[in-house]
Amino acid sequence: MTDTEERTGAAPEARRRPTLTRRGLCLGLGGMAALAAVGSVKYLGDTPVVRPPGGQDTEALLSACIRCQKCTEICPRDVIVPSHIENGILGTRTPALNFAENYCNFCAEENGGVPLCAAVCPTGALAAPPTPAEETVVLGLAEVNTDWCLAYKLIGCRFCYDACPYEAIELDEYNRPVVIEDTCNGCGACEAACVSLENGSITEGATARAIVVVPPSEN
Amino acid sequence: MNTRKLRVIIPVALMVAIGVGFAFNSGIGTLSAIGWKDISLLCPLGALGTMIASKTLIPQAVVSLVLAVAAILLLGRAFCTWACPVPIVGKLRDVFKKPARAEDAGATADLEADGASPAKARAIVAEEHAVARAQTPLTPAEKKALKGGCASCGSLCASQPATFDSRHFVLGGALLSAAIFGFPVFCLICPIGLTFATIMLVMLLFGGGDVTWSLVAAPALLVVEVLLLRKWCANFCPLSALMSLVAKGNRTFKPAIANEVCLETAKGATCDLCGAACEVGIDVRHPERGAAWSECTKCRACVEVCPTQAITMPLLPKRSASASTLGSFDEEAETAR
Repeated sequence: MTDTEERTGAAPEARRRPTLTRRGLCLGLGGMAALAAVGSVKYLGDTPVVRPPGGQDTEALLSACIRCQKCTEICPRDVIVPSHIENGILGTRTPALNFAENYCNFCAEENGGVPLCAAVCPTGALAAPPTPAEETVVLGLAEVNTDWCLAYKLIGCRFCYDACPYEAIELDEYNRPVVIEDTCNGCGACEAACVSLENGSITEGATARAIVVVPPSEN
Repeated sequence: MNTRKLRVIIPVALMVAIGVGFAFNSGIGTLSAIGWKDISLLCPLGALGTMIASKTLIPQAVVSLVLAVAAILLLGRAFCTWACPVPIVGKLRDVFKKPARAEDAGATADLEADGASPAKARAIVAEEHAVARAQTPLTPAEKKALKGGCASCGSLCASQPATFDSRHFVLGGALLSAAIFGFPVFCLICPIGLTFATIMLVMLLFGGGDVTWSLVAAPALLVVEVLLLRKWCANFCPLSALMSLVAKGNRTFKPAIANEVCLETAKGATCDLCGAACEVGIDVRHPERGAAWSECTKCRACVEVCPTQAITMPLLPKRSASASTLGSFDEEAETAR
């Protein structure tokens, strides 16, 4: 019995663990410093990008987005992409719109006009916009680059004009597209339809399509 | 049943399922917010970070936190073994490393050839090691430590896991930085998020031709965190810190040793295979020596390595099993009988 007593008596002594080792302290402080460095990318500045419906308040989006990519995944038209690192480290992997293949119809067909991206966002980074979203949300504004636009070379291209679902593009006296700023909501149908880049020999030096959606100006 | 392969297959299957879900716009999300359509279980750290940064109470985040705490109380750090993709990424290190301890592997192979079972062969090799260790003369540092007791030992005691370690600093830093900078800073560099981001960026590259430097940056950061920084999970992961804090209240599925079969208590042999097998450094036979039970990832390595199958992971702790953690095995051996 004395043996048992000795053991139980010695046990608490042996079980005591150091509260914190020096190595742990160094690694931990290093980790905290690294996080502070990552946090300070906030002050590097970001290039504004076109956000999905409900993400127009960039500051609110960045403060809530956990970069879970759920909006990217759910988008039935695959127009939401993780924002590129080229647009700033702070916004990397937060949702941005890419109209290369398709445009945003605010889920009019797929979900009765309630954007699925905002509906599935678990943190409210994409705040559900008032419905119908296509009338209340301005994603951005389409801009024509007259140097690259085929119509401005008097070729008679009018793909963007035909694609616009909101009649926000009119043709001038030479049949060249002009964006009606008050009507355009930045859905990207014109950009998705633009063929200027596929005609490289004509629009030499072009790095983007001749009509692109730019983020809404801050004012 | 050996779960060694399952520990790779299940997280990989999860990654594949999430990748397929991504391809078909299914709405199952990633591990950061897994669920179905508009119902998601948020990552507990992401939930805390987003609420702190945006200074808003998000109902879905609160519900997720409560569910996460309940899951951790029930299953401990099981997520780390059975769902997290980071250990899988970490296995890439082995691809570039020459096989370690080839000598031991050879020794076990020899014994196996002699007709011993693999587990038994490992036990014999382990015992040989113990004997070899006992025969090596003490190093000056060890002698000094023995003379001066615990106060003077420094390096020897430093090898013992602390109750509060570097991960907890990173956890504090993750929450503090979210408050200071106003966005969930850790989410930007989280290796779990980066793993899924890499998968998705590759899919977007081939699916939609979305070319970006993120495709280089995301995997590069992942490699730095998981492969270059040694032991991400044990030294840095704030999620593992969060889980181990909550898991202090975990009592279920805790490894328990049947002392009447354990080589050490039943035959007085030196075995220690269970302690050596544990990836988080818990000494199952002598819990007072290794990491705390709250670190247990329920990986079953100790259960499977035991040459006499003395270890089980019961749903609820038995009376005798709870006594074994106190380290007084004489008394306990009697109760077991």
